Formats: sequence, C-alpha cells, structure tokens
Amino acid sequence: MIKLLFLSYVFVFTLFADEPIVPIPLDEPIDIPKAKLGKELFFDTLLSRDNSIACVSCHDIYNGGADNRVVSIGFNGAKGNIHALTVLNARYNFKQFWNGRVNTLVEQATGPLSDPTEHNMDPRKIQERVNLSKKYKKMFKEAYGTYTITYELILDAIVAFENALTTPNAKFDKYLRGEIKLTQDEQEGYTLFKQYGCITCHNGINVGGNSFQKMGTFVEYNATATFPDRSDVTHNKEDINVFKVPTLRNIAKTAPYFHDASAQTLKEALTIMSKHNLGIELSSQESDKIILFLETLSGDMPKILDTF
Amino acid sequence: MKLRRIIYFVLVVGVLSSFAMVYFYTKQKAFSENYKQFLSSMYYLENAEETLNYLILQNAIYIYHNHDAIAQKQQEINDTFQTLQTSKILLDAHYKTINLSLEKLQSQIQESNTKIEKYLRFNASVKNSLLFLTRHIDNAAESLKQESCSQECKDIFLNANLILKHYNNATRMQDLDYIKDTKLILSDTAKEKKNIDFIQSFNLHAVFLQEQYPQYIATTKNIFKSHIGLTLQQIRANFTALALSDFKALNAFSIILFSILILFLTTISFLFLIYMRENKKLLETKESLEYSLVYDQLTELYNRTSLEKKLQTIEHPHIMLINIDSFKNINDIYGNSIGNALLRKIARLLENKLSHIENLKIYRLGADEFGVLFTNVLSSKVLNIAHILEKDIASHSFIFGDLEIHITVSIASNHIEPILENADLALKRIKKDPTKRVIEYKESLNLKKSVQENLQMLETIKMALLDDRILPFFQPIVNLKTLKIEKYEALVRLQLTNGRYLTPYKFLDTARKSSLYEEITRIMFEKSMRIAKEYPQYRFSINLAMRDILNDALTKNIFQIFAQEKEVASRIDIELLESEDLHDIELVQAFIDKLHSFGSKILIDDFGSGYSNFAYFAHLDIDTIKIDGSIISEIAINDKKMHMLRSIHNFSHGMDIVNIAEFVETQETAMLLREVGIAYGQGYYFGHPLPAPLEQDEIIFS
Repeated sequence: MIKLLFLSYVFVFTLFADEPIVPIPLDEPIDIPKAKLGKELFFDTLLSRDNSIACVSCHDIYNGGADNRVVSIGFNGAKGNIHALTVLNARYNFKQFWNGRVNTLVEQATGPLSDPTEHNMDPRKIQERVNLSKKYKKMFKEAYGTYTITYELILDAIVAFENALTTPNAKFDKYLRGEIKLTQDEQEGYTLFKQYGCITCHNGINVGGNSFQKMGTFVEYNATATFPDRSDVTHNKEDINVFKVPTLRNIAKTAPYFHDASAQTLKEALTIMSKHNLGIELSSQESDKIILFLETLSGDMPKILDTF
Repeated sequence: MKLRRIIYFVLVVGVLSSFAMVYFYTKQKAFSENYKQFLSSMYYLENAEETLNYLILQNAIYIYHNHDAIAQKQQEINDTFQTLQTSKILLDAHYKTINLSLEKLQSQIQESNTKIEKYLRFNASVKNSLLFLTRHIDNAAESLKQESCSQECKDIFLNANLILKHYNNATRMQDLDYIKDTKLILSDTAKEKKNIDFIQSFNLHAVFLQEQYPQYIATTKNIFKSHIGLTLQQIRANFTALALSDFKALNAFSIILFSILILFLTTISFLFLIYMRENKKLLETKESLEYSLVYDQLTELYNRTSLEKKLQTIEHPHIMLINIDSFKNINDIYGNSIGNALLRKIARLLENKLSHIENLKIYRLGADEFGVLFTNVLSSKVLNIAHILEKDIASHSFIFGDLEIHITVSIASNHIEPILENADLALKRIKKDPTKRVIEYKESLNLKKSVQENLQMLETIKMALLDDRILPFFQPIVNLKTLKIEKYEALVRLQLTNGRYLTPYKFLDTARKSSLYEEITRIMFEKSMRIAKEYPQYRFSINLAMRDILNDALTKNIFQIFAQEKEVASRIDIELLESEDLHDIELVQAFIDKLHSFGSKILIDDFGSGYSNFAYFAHLDIDTIKIDGSIISEIAINDKKMHMLRSIHNFSHGMDIVNIAEFVETQETAMLLREVGIAYGQGYYFGHPLPAPLEQDEIIFS
C-alpha cells in the first residue's frame, strides 16, 4: 500500500522537467539611441490624431506597463474593447494581443496607432508630423543616420524602446539563478503553483505568453461575452473564449486582471482561475502563499526609463 | 594586314567570351548560392519539424514543460518557410511545381500550428486534472498518517489509485483502450463524510478526464500524423531533381565556354607566335633596308647616300675620290664575279691602308669609285695619303686563284664646296690626262669654267640653229698635176651674232653630245647640196663621223636629201672620220654601197693618224684617202714623215685608191707632194675655206 503510494509519488515527480520558468536575461542587447528615440515617441501625444494620447497613456510603464482602467480610453473618448495588456516584457510573448493576431511588436504597434478608437492615425500622417519636428530630425539622424524619417523607422524606434522594456532581476529570477532563497511561504506558493497546474500554462521566460488557452476549460466562463478572442482569428467555434495566456511577470502591479478586467485583486483572480480552469477551490492560505510567490515575479524597472 | 585583322577578331571573341564567362560565373554562383540557401532552408525545416515533434512529445510526457521552445520553433518554421517561399531560385518558371508544393506545405504547416494550439489546450486541462487527481490522492495519503483508514477508505483509496493509473497509462500510451471498458470514476456509495468529499472532488475531475480523453488523444495522435515531413522530403527530392538538370545545363555551358576560352588562348598564342615571326621578318627586312640605305651591300662600306647625309652634318669635310681605271674592261674580260670580288678586295685594302688614320670614313660611291671622307685635315696630308695610296694599289697584286690582276686608280682630292661635284670634276680632268694619277681640285683648274662654257656653247648653237646661222664654208681641193680646183670640202661654220665665225673645233664636240648634232648635219647636207647645184663644175665632200653611220635617223635623212637631187648627189663625196668605236663593218659597207649607187664616193679622213686601220681597206670599198695633216705639215723637215707619206702613197696606189693631202700650207710642201705623186692637195697654200666656191677653177695665190 505504502509502496504503491510511494511509487505513484515518485512517478509524478520524476516527470517534472527542469524548472519551467526561465529568468529574464540581464544583458539583453539594446540600441540605446534607437531606444531613447522610441521612448520619446512612446511618450509623445503627437502620435494621436487630436494630440490627446500617447502609447504611454494606456501602457503605464511606471506602473506595470498596462492600463489600470477596465478598457482604455482612446481618440475622442472612445473605449477599447478589451483590457490593455502590459508592454513590459512584451518582447518575450510568442504572439501579440489577447488573441495573438500578430507575431511581432512592429505589427502590434501599427494596431493602436491606426485604430480609430485609439490613436486614430495613418502612417502618412504620423510620418508628416514626426518629420516636422526638429527634435526628431536630430534624433533620427543620430539613431539611423538619416533625416528622412519613414513610418517604418518610427515603428522600428518604438519597437527598439519596447525591446528595452524588460524587468530583470525579479526576486524569483534571482532564486532561479541560485542567488537567493525564497521565504518559506513564497517557496510553498511556488510549489502550489506547480502542483495545482498553474505552471502548465504559465511557464517559460514570461510565465505565460507562450500558448493559447481557453478561459474556463473546466467550468465554462461567461459564454455570452463578445471579446475579440482567438475565434476572431481562427473563425473556429472551439476557440471562443480562447486567449493568449498572459504573462504573470509584474502581475502584482497590473490589476485589474483578465481580458475583461473582472478581477480587481490577485486573490479574486486566483479564485476565478482555480474554479474555471483548474476545477479546484483554493484555501485562503493557499491563495496567500501563491500571491506571495506571484509577487516575487516583479522585477527591476527597465533601465531605459532612467536614461534621458 | 590580314594577320592583324585576325588577331583583332580573335581578341574581340576572347573579350566577349571572357565577359560571357564572367557573366556566366556570376549567374552560376548566384544559382548555386540560391540552390544551397533553398536546400539548407529545406533541411532546416525538416530538422525544425522533427524538433517540434520532439518538443511536443516531451511536452506530452512532462507535466511541467516550458512552452517557449515550442512557440519559438513554430516561429522559426514560419520564418524559414517565408525565406523558402521568397527564394530567388523559385522565380524561374522551371520551378513552378515546387511553388505549388510549397503552397501545399504552407497549408500543412498552418494546419499543424492549429493542431498544436488545440493540443496544448487539451494537454493543459488533462494534465491539470491528472495533477489534481494525483495531488488529491496524495493529500488523502498524507492525512492517513494522522488518521486511521476504514475498509471503505482503503477501497476508495485503492480504486482511486487504480483509476489514476489507468489515466496515466492512457496518457503515456496515448491509447483510449486503457480507459474505454471501465467506468473510471469512483462509485458514490461511500458513507463516511470524509470519503464522500473525496469521491466528489475525485469524480469531478475523473468525469472531466473521461470527457476530454477521446479528443485529447485524437488531437495528440493527429499531430504526429502530420505529412509535413513527407511533403518536405518530396519537395526536396523534386527540387534536387530540377536543380540537377539545371546544374547539368550549367555544366555543359561552362564546358562550352571553357572550351571557347581554351581555344581562344591557343589561337591567340598561335597568332601571337605568327605575329612575332612576321614581326621578326619585318624587322630583319627593315634592318637590311636600313643597312642598304647606309651601307653598300657588296663591299660593306658606307654608300653614297650615307656620304651625302654625312656631308650635311659636318664642317670642313675633305673628300678623296678613288676611281679604278678601266674597270669596265676588267668586268668584260674576267666577268662580273671577279669584278665584284676585286671591288671587295679593294675595299678591304683601303680599310687596311687607312686604318691608322683618324677621322675618316670610307665609302663606295659608284661602280668603280670609292670615297674617303676626312674632317679637319690638311690638304697636303690628304694629297700625301692619295699619292701613297695610288702607288700602293698600283703595285698590289689582286690574286684570284691562278689569276693575278693589276689595276691603277685615279685619285682626286677636294675640300672646296660643293665638295662632291668639284672632286668629280677634278677626277674627270685627270682621267683625260694619262700622265697624272692624283689631282687636287683648285679653282685655278678652271674646271668649272669649261662646264660653263659647254653650257654657253650649247646655248649659242641652239640660237644659231634658230637664226639659221649654221652654214658651210668651202675649201678648194686642187689637182696637183693640173693645179686646177676640182673639188671643194664643205666645212661647217657657226656664225656668231657679231658676224664672226666659229670653226667646228669650237662647237662640234659640244653639239655631238646633244641632239643638236643631227640638225647641224642635216643643215650641212641641205646647204651644201644647194651650193653644189649652183656649181656643177666641182665635186664636193661633206664630213661624217664613222659613228654617224650607225645613226639610222641621220643616214635616212641623208639619203632622202640625195634622192631629191640625184645629179647633185652624184657629185657629193662623204669624208669619214675614223674612230675607235666602229664595230659593225657590214653596216658601214652597206652605207658605202648605197652611196656608190648615187655615184657618190667614200673618203677616209685623217689617214695616218690615231686609229688608222688598214683592215678597213680589206673589207670596205674605199675610194679615196685623205692623208693626215700631221704628216703633211712636216714632210719638208722630217724624213720620217716623208717616208710615211711615200708608204701611204704606195699603199693607196697599190690599192687603187685616190689620195689627197691636207694641210698644204707652203709651196715647198706642194712641190714635194707633186714629186711623190700625190693626186690632190688641200690647204691654205691653195685656199682658205670661203663661204662659197670660186667660179673659176684657177687657184688664186694670196
């Protein structure tokens, strides 16, 4: 009997590979002049039709890189149709947007810029505006060696900045690198995270952001809502309520949670997730421990934000 | 030049084929690079596809698995496919089938991606529920450490473990049979509260798993049913086959191009060799031409051109002309080859004799003439050298086998401009003087003057002919027995514009060297005939040189004039002046026969002087001889001359030839002539030449 238990125990744990979470590299190469230029553009309302919003309006990079509103407010007060994702560590996502409709950050950037409810701009307009600026002329010359500023260069600069938006040195990353030890509770939180299967979807460098999963595999979740989910891309009924698994890095800073921003706190989010996707009910203690673990995923602010 | 044109043509072909080669090479390089790129992309795709399959398999086995690698691999596959699709090699219509296959591949990849996406979803939920079940049992087992376990508890525990084992097996084997037959949920017959809770939670997931498994396993299997690998292999095989045919064509083309290049190189080398050879020939010809411009081929001395050039460049030249006397005779006697050999020997002799003297050059200037050019030298020294040289050559024996030839040379030295002409004049002067061998040109020789005079004389003659101032004078010829004038000799005179007359000694030699001589002869005949017609009582004689008979035009003219006045012609005799160049005796005899037919007589002039030749008389029908003045004028004072006179008289008498004595200037001479028995006399004693004959045949002694 004991023997059997022991065997099954061993069986389960021997199937765990190396830690499925990978730390963020400390030495991601960054093209400083381009990134600085991108930062300038990221913060510039010039990139919206009525000069009202900038990229940073909805991606508050000083506070988790996402929007603390349910949906973002764009051009002329228009509302977005989904909760804004964080721009921090976006480079590590396998696809962009909640439904993963594009592969690259360049493609991603064109989305909000041209969306009528967001920046409501077109490439020509952006090009014109940026070309009129002496500041940008100078900066582009410095970064790209040309005074001819094209839309492509503008996007490239923004992406260069976004690529610099990584948050290394999270406590958990340091733990993974063997530099520090987690507290007892954090350690237990991580174990729970694995044992309850959160890790099945939230793994990799971004602790998520590398697969699509259905919101509500176990218990159906809000079937009537019409968010732009994966089925918008695949036109497959099975993909309703399927979204890109969001990153859990800096998750403590990016409330509210989920595509519909239905959870205001991590505890709420954990309750919803464990119910709908894991078919379990977490105890309050378990939730707290997992939250303690999740908090170790908050990393350093991107260095590029300190440079001007 | 034809060869050059061929070379140009071949060069153009060569350049073109080189360009073609370079063009072809870049094409080929681009092609093989594209080929390699495409193929390596293919290999990469095949590899990535297998890696992806491996990662998914790994993912299926491991409960904790990082999806990053899968997402990354998918992205790589997509990117690689993009490079494949945009590969330059596919632009060729030849690879249309590959493009079609790629489209198929693309849909397969997309399909595969969709399947993976689906798989990951099922995989996650199945794994999570399996995890839950494991942990659920685990937790229960943990609590067993503190609490006792009833039979019901044990049964449930065993069953739960069994059910979990089935699911785990089904997962591992990816085989639904493990869960097909049994209803893999715990029966809800438990009574203990603890057990009821356990069963409830357990069954929630067990039921979920039962629902999910068919789709989960189907999806997993579906992934590995992918035909991507096969399609990739097919594409690669197709592509390789197509490319192979392209490579073959390229190879064939490269062989052709290479052959052309080799051919070109061979041809160009060959042509170059020919060109070099021709060039060499040309160079040799040029060299020999240049040599012959400067050198005399026979003697290898400098030639005349070379001398003339040299004279233009130097100051104070002094020339020494060395002419071989009677070189023509040597050629005639010994033949040209000996003549040439002799010239070479003379050239070597000159070089030898003059080698110790500085500042001189030896030239061959003409057939029998050498020149030595000195610079800055004293005339006396040159003259001294000339004398020594002349003696050396004269005493030198030129030996050719058994033959020993001796020659003499005439040498003229000159340093007065025009240097060559003056030297020539001087040389001509000593050629006429057999006593002298060496001469130095001096203005005082008046050599130039005689040339000048000759020219002036020619002009005078021309003018005289134009003004009809050439006319005959007549000198009586007296019968020494009767002392009556029987004949007149017509003597040519040129009347000068001042009224004075020139005797033929002054102008006839000059005229003879020009075409004017014939005209003079014609005028003499016409005018003499006219006079003869007026004086039918006399005979007349006109002078002709022996060589004039050889002049066809002249003799024809004479006979035409004769034919017009036959009576007069019968009274006209011809006085022939002997000369050395009479060779064709028969021609002369024919002329004489023709004269005889007119009744004209033939007379040999100046007999007994110079070249008198008794042989004539054997072959020619001579009528009369005129005994030379050099004998007649001295018979009174010189016994030898008297004896000669007698001998000639006897000879002519024996030959039945009439004789006439000229230069009869004194009575004494006339008497002596009569004594000897000479038939006729002529000279100042009997009468000077006059513009017309006397009416009377009496002699008027002045």
